[in-house]
Amino acid sequence: MITLTGSRAPTGAVDDDGLSLPGDAGGVVTVSFDGRYVWSFQPARDATRDGARLTIGWPEALRPHLHGRTRLTVADHHSGRVYVDQAVVLGGDGPAEATQLRVEDAHGHPLAVNKVGNLTRVFAETDDGARREILEGTARVLDDLRGAGGVDAYLNYGCLLGAVREGRMIGTDCDADLCYLSAATTPVDVIAESYRVERAMLGRGWRTVRMSGGDFKVLLRLDDGRTCYVDVFVAFYLDGTFFQLGNRSGRLPREAVLPTSTIVLEGVELPAPADPEAMLSFVYGPTWRVPDPAFHFTDPPEGVRRLDGWLRGQRDEVPGWNQLYRTRGGDVPTEASGFARWVQPRIGPADTVADLGCGLGRDAAFFAQQGHPVLAYDVSPDARTATARRLRRTGTGSVVRRLMLGELRTVAVSGAEIATAAEHRHVYARGLVGCVDAESRRNLWRLARTALAGSSGSLFLELAASSRTVPLHAPAAPAGLLRRLDADEVVREIETYGGRVVAREQAPGEDLFDHPDPWTCRLQVTFDPTVPGGTPHV
Amino acid sequence: MSELRSRARGAAVRLRASTGTAERLRRLEEEVQENRRLNRRLAELTDLVTELLVPLSRRDDAQGEEVLVRYRSII
Repeated sequence: MITLTGSRAPTGAVDDDGLSLPGDAGGVVTVSFDGRYVWSFQPARDATRDGARLTIGWPEALRPHLHGRTRLTVADHHSGRVYVDQAVVLGGDGPAEATQLRVEDAHGHPLAVNKVGNLTRVFAETDDGARREILEGTARVLDDLRGAGGVDAYLNYGCLLGAVREGRMIGTDCDADLCYLSAATTPVDVIAESYRVERAMLGRGWRTVRMSGGDFKVLLRLDDGRTCYVDVFVAFYLDGTFFQLGNRSGRLPREAVLPTSTIVLEGVELPAPADPEAMLSFVYGPTWRVPDPAFHFTDPPEGVRRLDGWLRGQRDEVPGWNQLYRTRGGDVPTEASGFARWVQPRIGPADTVADLGCGLGRDAAFFAQQGHPVLAYDVSPDARTATARRLRRTGTGSVVRRLMLGELRTVAVSGAEIATAAEHRHVYARGLVGCVDAESRRNLWRLARTALAGSSGSLFLELAASSRTVPLHAPAAPAGLLRRLDADEVVREIETYGGRVVAREQAPGEDLFDHPDPWTCRLQVTFDPTVPGGTPHV
Repeated sequence: MSELRSRARGAAVRLRASTGTAERLRRLEEEVQENRRLNRRLAELTDLVTELLVPLSRRDDAQGEEVLVRYRSII
């Protein structure tokens, strides 16, 4: 990091790793690049004491952008105390070579770090026309939720806070959050209702993304090409406790929620809770009237645990994979893996291949290029986008679809899609079995059994494995996303589900990046219904 | 010394008891969480039956693909 010019001796310091502030720094600190808001934090909560100083690292989501020249300002949001105000060059370039540092999306729109650590556009950097478009779109979503969806939906969270406190969107906010109070009193009925409401929105022509059993996002396409995500969260009462997604729980009288009132936000009238101030106090605490761009929710842990158990778990790994593909996608080789080349001579020339956990599509594209119809599945939207792009270049009629092994609906429909795709078909899964939890792994066997029923096709698996010299805890890549497994236990589990291992090879192999893995196992499995033994399992 | 040894022994017994209790609580919380997860599984299975299997049972083989395509579009 190089300092080009500065104000009088600042009390803060900056380098490529992060910031250093005086030990008495408190309140809320905002960070701007060239006058544009980028990030905020609370030193007392987020920084680490290092002697007489407080230090904090740059957010991970921001790091890929920290290359180039910028005017960096670090200041207390309320008092205006300036810690850093200087022109700097980040990322190792010399002053002559450095380009302008930009924290922008592909369309050139400014981004900032939101309250969950992701980079997103914020309303402060959105022009008035786009803000109006977002609000009018949000109003249409609310109309459809309350009409076709049949639920008492209302504005909440950041947009409600901005409406009540300032009459305008909060500059550091980035999306619109809506809630509806469910009449259901059991989690299973809450989930069933959320499915129904989402289908009603699909019937109205909206695109959606399901996030949990109790919430989904409605995609609002804007004229500037951006997509604004409108969260639709369920709220419900259970045993006297009010639960409201994201993660809020506690005491809030029903009269504070319904019947809904209305509120005006930047000229647009929107449904709101019956008592907006009571709702804001419930959501943000008693200090909700004081602006705090670094606000973080402190949700009751017992309520979070209950919501996690009832409603979540089917897509926990998605953020990790998306982050991996965005930061290290270029490190994943594009040509066929060794495992794909191992499988190719073992299948018929025009057999259909279902690639589960297709990643960026290197093997799906290989099989397509060899003349096989390909059905590619992955949980990560970034992976599906990359695979679809790669398969389009092959010119085949291959398809790419979403598969969440932790969610029975996509498991069942994927199994049925593969089973009805072609007479001669196989299921291919490289690395997948080491990326999922135990229940998802069992769903993988159920899916394969369904997909291959009545055919002579095989399930082909490759996994990072343990041996006498390679323990289970030996590192496997990518770290944190893939585990090494005991191949014998995997085989026993497969056999429980009616599978029969017809080929097994174990040797040093390669990981996701084609770097050496000390021990891998390759399996070819058939699900022959005439094979005796094994314990049938649902 | 014997008093010290006795106090040390007592402390060890209490530590084992608290550790055992903590472990039992941890397992109990895991079991509760396991049961909570059944809510989503039941909702998913119900949805599969009502929105996929029942429509499939009403159609012939040629229309089965339409049912699959429709279900894929609404999940």
